Amino acid sequence: MLAYTLTRLLYLALVLVVMSVLIFLVTQAMPGDVASMIAGQFASPEVVQAISVKLGLDQPLIVQYGRWAAGILHGDLGRSLVLEQPIAPILMEALARSLVLAVVALTVVAVAGIGLGVLAAVRRGKLTDQMVSGISYLGIAVPDFFWAIVLVLVFGSYMKLLPTGGYTPVAEGVLPWAAHLVLPVVTLVLMLLARIARLTRSSMIDVLQTNYVKFARAKGMPESVVILRHALKNALLPTITVLAIDFGLILGGVVVIETIFSYPGMGRLLLFAIQRHDLPLIQATILVVSAAYCLANLVADLLYAFVNPKIRHGMRTA
Amino acid sequence: MTTAPHTRSAVPPVAVPAPASRPAAPLLDVRGLTISYGTGRGTLRAVSDVGFSILPGEVMGLVGESGSGKSTVAMAVLDLLGEGGRVESGEILFRGTDLRRLAPAERRALRGDSIAAVFQDPFTSLNPALTVGRQIAEPLIRHKRLTPRQAAVRVEELLGEVGIRDPRRVAAAYPHELSGGMQQRALIATALGCEPGLLILDEPTTALDVTVEARIIDLLAKLCDSHHLSALFVSHNLGIVNRICQSVTVLYGGVVVETGPTGRVLSRPAHPYTKGLIAALPRITAERRARLPSIPGTVAKLSGPPAACVFAPRCPFAEETCRSHPQEMRAEGDGTGVRCWKADALATTSWPDEGGTAPRRGALPARSAPLVEVEHLRKIYGASTSILPWLRRAGTVAVDDVSFTIDRGEVLGVVGESGSGKSTIGRALLALTEPSAGTVLFDGADFPQQVRRGDQTLRRRAQLVFQNSAASLNPRKTVGQAMERPLVLAGRGDAEERRRTVAGLLTRVGLPAAYADRYPHELSGGERQRVNIARALATDPEFVVCDEAVSALDVSVQANILNLLAGLRDEMGLSYLFITHDIAVVAHIADRVLVVYGGTICEEGPVGRVLRPPYHPYTEALLSAVPRLAEDGSEPPRILLEDSALPPGGRGGCAFAGRCPRKLGAVCDEQAPPVRETDQGHRIACHIPLATLAERAPVFPKLAGGDAAAR
Ligand code: SF4
Ligand code: SF4
Repeated sequence: MLAYTLTRLLYLALVLVVMSVLIFLVTQAMPGDVASMIAGQFASPEVVQAISVKLGLDQPLIVQYGRWAAGILHGDLGRSLVLEQPIAPILMEALARSLVLAVVALTVVAVAGIGLGVLAAVRRGKLTDQMVSGISYLGIAVPDFFWAIVLVLVFGSYMKLLPTGGYTPVAEGVLPWAAHLVLPVVTLVLMLLARIARLTRSSMIDVLQTNYVKFARAKGMPESVVILRHALKNALLPTITVLAIDFGLILGGVVVIETIFSYPGMGRLLLFAIQRHDLPLIQATILVVSAAYCLANLVADLLYAFVNPKIRHGMRTA
Repeated sequence: MTTAPHTRSAVPPVAVPAPASRPAAPLLDVRGLTISYGTGRGTLRAVSDVGFSILPGEVMGLVGESGSGKSTVAMAVLDLLGEGGRVESGEILFRGTDLRRLAPAERRALRGDSIAAVFQDPFTSLNPALTVGRQIAEPLIRHKRLTPRQAAVRVEELLGEVGIRDPRRVAAAYPHELSGGMQQRALIATALGCEPGLLILDEPTTALDVTVEARIIDLLAKLCDSHHLSALFVSHNLGIVNRICQSVTVLYGGVVVETGPTGRVLSRPAHPYTKGLIAALPRITAERRARLPSIPGTVAKLSGPPAACVFAPRCPFAEETCRSHPQEMRAEGDGTGVRCWKADALATTSWPDEGGTAPRRGALPARSAPLVEVEHLRKIYGASTSILPWLRRAGTVAVDDVSFTIDRGEVLGVVGESGSGKSTIGRALLALTEPSAGTVLFDGADFPQQVRRGDQTLRRRAQLVFQNSAASLNPRKTVGQAMERPLVLAGRGDAEERRRTVAGLLTRVGLPAAYADRYPHELSGGERQRVNIARALATDPEFVVCDEAVSALDVSVQANILNLLAGLRDEMGLSYLFITHDIAVVAHIADRVLVVYGGTICEEGPVGRVLRPPYHPYTEALLSAVPRLAEDGSEPPRILLEDSALPPGGRGGCAFAGRCPRKLGAVCDEQAPPVRETDQGHRIACHIPLATLAERAPVFPKLAGGDAAAR
């Protein structure tokens, strides 16, 4: 397990280095250059040149990259051109908000999705199963923004039960904070639930047909033990992976949902940076988003290995 | 334990335990059991009016081929029929109570407590995510209300009782860390935990290697005896049944066709089906027969109560009456029953023998250059030279320095257990896997090298038939399409010509040419294997590797396929490499044998020599583990091998040293054993001198002695 984790961390570091190079090159290739943006539309070429020199933009690319990368390693993500502030605190704040969204939404998705999936598998072919399947199809077929708009209209505009968007920090009271979370969370849940439920259902059905489940029944174990202890633990392996990847996705910002609910998470930050052509902010945001995504994948794999003794022990001897 | 008024002699089990003064009430009494399965195409009758009883302390074999309904009966007793299965009628009396009248919860309370089960495949019967100890403890905690701590103590006792030497470690292990034999022991320990009265054993050793199987069967026999256990022993293997059961019930097509004491049923079978089943078994002791007697046709599926004798379509003695009247069970003395009105008339008639006992043909063609020459073949799997030190792996040695030749028209058998490298040898011969070292010459040409260069001509001359007949055919292609493919690849003929070739090939393997339009799922297992053979023949090969080609088949079908292969060899002069775990099959079909263990050849030579002393210690253990019928002579003292712990091979010494019962000491671990030749190409690789090896008594004393040298 240790060797496995080490190897995976090494790969992760490698991927991030490659990603950072790519991000750097791509943003360099974007139209417009930083110096003229800082200088403003009507600045003379001399002024632009001076700013260029001051920021080191006249140096070869490799040197610029080196300086940027070294900064990141020291926790310095640079300064936002538009906001004229250091990037790190802005990013951390947005990341924290996305994290809240991800944790809350995925907890609900995991509990409800796995529950529904197990229920459907156990009552396979019966009415419960068909209902779960039907709802799942609906959830998958309907695009996510549709739910968002419906929810905003119903709960926000007509019933005026919940705020239609925005965000208030916890410091200003738990209730308003929670109220702002409800609609985005519900939308995310509707978006992700179907897949988790269907995945759990199908792997559960497979596991329920295995010999060890049959043997557990032959030992006289009651159905609840057969399902929870013997079947579910094995059936959850694929679900765990998908959940972890979903987590990475939400962490990286779900642009559509964050926009509709004006939720200031990573997605909106990135959108803002791109619209305003804030190159350092774009670079830093994309880098953090990629890192979050890779990390979530790593956690998924480690979890998978941890739950699955075959892999856990295989790694030990590897 | 109990002082029962009967004793059980393991070898040979003769009769139902002699009843005490008054006949004991049966522990399990099944009457008129009829079970059907709802399928997409209507209901299928799996079991019709099945009845039998098991006395306390009795082990009854429930024997039959696939489709006989034997497992369905066992599952019905456990109330685990699964989806679609339904008991239509009948009684299942356990200790006098009809289980069918109990509520599901009451039946569940019996399961794992007084009725315990062990199933076929230990590799999949244990939950991979839970420790072995926890799984054994579950019924103890559930039924006997032990605390987890008490249960843990009991688990170690139980593991000790089933012959596991290191109970604490095994209890803490996960299933994948144990060998198949140990897993099956753990399952048996689970079943014994609550001291059940009845064990349901559903093919408990079928997935295991022969030497492991022998030990598990001995363990089961011992446990049944010491615990005064009754068991329903479901099996397709008559030899195993002979070893452990006092009585047998033979099922065919969901109907009991014969029942009686094991000794009588297996030595003097009364029902034609039982006769056929026994006759079709390849045997080591039998005179070497050119062809095995076989049972033509396949089991018909019933949708209602049988309207005629179920066996009539395949019975060589069938008459008009058989086809118009369902047969009644006729009870005879000593617990015997036969469902055939002609049984008495046929008492002295045996199953027709189509091949006779004549040698299959003249001597092998004069030794010219061999067709296949293998020299110093080595194959290492999974070796890796990563830059990351913790990822570097030496790999496992699958085949270690193996050399042999195959002549034209010769059948070379390769016998070995799982992990012996036998399949790898076959794949290397067909250049399906790249050897790590050594050469493979086919008709003088370097086969792997040609393939590497993209030259596929040799591929056409050497073909493969392997075990899983279902998996090797694409379910979406008709038989004809599947068979045409090799012809298309070889660029043979136009569409019309190819169709004719396919028809010809199907006829050659004994199938109607119209089968070309069928899909694989419409065929039986035996028919699919015929298609596989026909496909292998499409390119007129000279050499065919048969990798466990008959292992998954029922005995009657296996005999058919073996005869077909023997016929093709005689007609077309094919050479085979016949890979199998079943030494009886090799004894039947092969000219020469390689006995392999841990990727090395232990012994090689003409079949007649390998089956007689001097034996390599592994060959001897293997032969002594072969289950046999009463007429094959009494069982020899079995040579018990330790369950293999480590993958053998690649450590310099004898590959068998880890399990060898005759190991001499350090020399076996450190030095590769010398290869000594007795005569006529019979070679043994062992540190024990030939003279000492020759002192052992023959395992099969009845093996006709004279022609040994002649073969
Ligand atoms: S009843 Fe007739 S067909 Fe059936 S087994 Fe007896 S002889 Fe054969
Ligand atoms: S060499 Fe030693 S370990 Fe190997 S078979 Fe012979 S006696 Fe046994």
